[in-house]
Amino acid sequence: MEEIAGNELAIDKREQAMLELADFDEVVRVYRPRILRFLLSSLTDRDAAESLTQECFLKAWSARHQFRGDSSLSTWLTRIAVNLMRDHLRSRSLRFWQKTRGSSLDVMDISDWVPDGRSSPESLTVARDRVAAVWRAVESLSAQQRAVFVLRFVEEMELDEIAGTIGMNLSTVKSHLYRALAIIRERMGGAK
Amino acid sequence: MKFRRDTGAESDTTREEVREMAEALSLYRSAMRHIAEKEAARSRVAEPRPGRSIRFGMLLAPALTAVVAAAVLVPVYSHLHHPTSAPGVVVKTSQAGPADTRANVDDTVLMNQIDSELSEDVPDALRPLADLGNQTTNASSVSEKKNVTQE
Repeated sequence: MEEIAGNELAIDKREQAMLELADFDEVVRVYRPRILRFLLSSLTDRDAAESLTQECFLKAWSARHQFRGDSSLSTWLTRIAVNLMRDHLRSRSLRFWQKTRGSSLDVMDISDWVPDGRSSPESLTVARDRVAAVWRAVESLSAQQRAVFVLRFVEEMELDEIAGTIGMNLSTVKSHLYRALAIIRERMGGAK
Repeated sequence: MKFRRDTGAESDTTREEVREMAEALSLYRSAMRHIAEKEAARSRVAEPRPGRSIRFGMLLAPALTAVVAAAVLVPVYSHLHHPTSAPGVVVKTSQAGPADTRANVDDTVLMNQIDSELSEDVPDALRPLADLGNQTTNASSVSEKKNVTQE
């Protein structure tokens, strides 16, 4: 009985996912900002993030029939983005001589960001300094640490969801996150 | 007592550090979201540039156009290159064999589907080819009549 209920649930999830995927323009509209944000935070390169976001949705479109609804659509898309990012970083490391920093984001990009509820110039400066310190610390993380960190603290994903998305076990995710936080904490302590 | 007081002070420091860290991470999240929104808006403005945007609803258009072109060009081409075949074979499908009839019916259904989906007529650019086809048909029928007369 439980098995039948489980099967029906799986079929429902699959049908739901197929229904969601049927309107792909809507899928792009809903999930594009999130994928772009993840890639931008991880790569800190505008052009690369933009290009990989496009590629992510193209891949998703081509592979939409393979999506079984085992995970949420968001997780599935993020998984594609993580794989694309991995390939990108791998190819970039081969082209280490190629400095394409023209489209890279830097600390100055947060200059027009105004944190909520802070009106005094002093609190504004403190907030921006803190963000800049985290920014620099995140840049020093390894690709895996950064991906885990961004998924947890920018995308606010649960640890088991991150594990499923990146294809690591839970303890490895925890380990990467622990190291990432230790580095950031240390850097921030040094920045004070 | 001293030990306890030290531990308490240490734990207060740790708590303060954790609070600061949590606040910094929250600020970082807000900043990243702000930057990503700005970038998304920027790329939306840039989307009309060719090759930048992906309208998935439009992906089928080139394929359908190719099918329309093939459906029109193949009969015209075969007509032009097989002048000895029966006159009007392209236009009058009833004179063809059973297999050809089925193929033509399928094509007609396909063309109707494509017409209804694209809401487009057969391209005007192909009209000169069709006229040429008619002229060739007339010429070949005249020469065939001559042959019959000679026989």
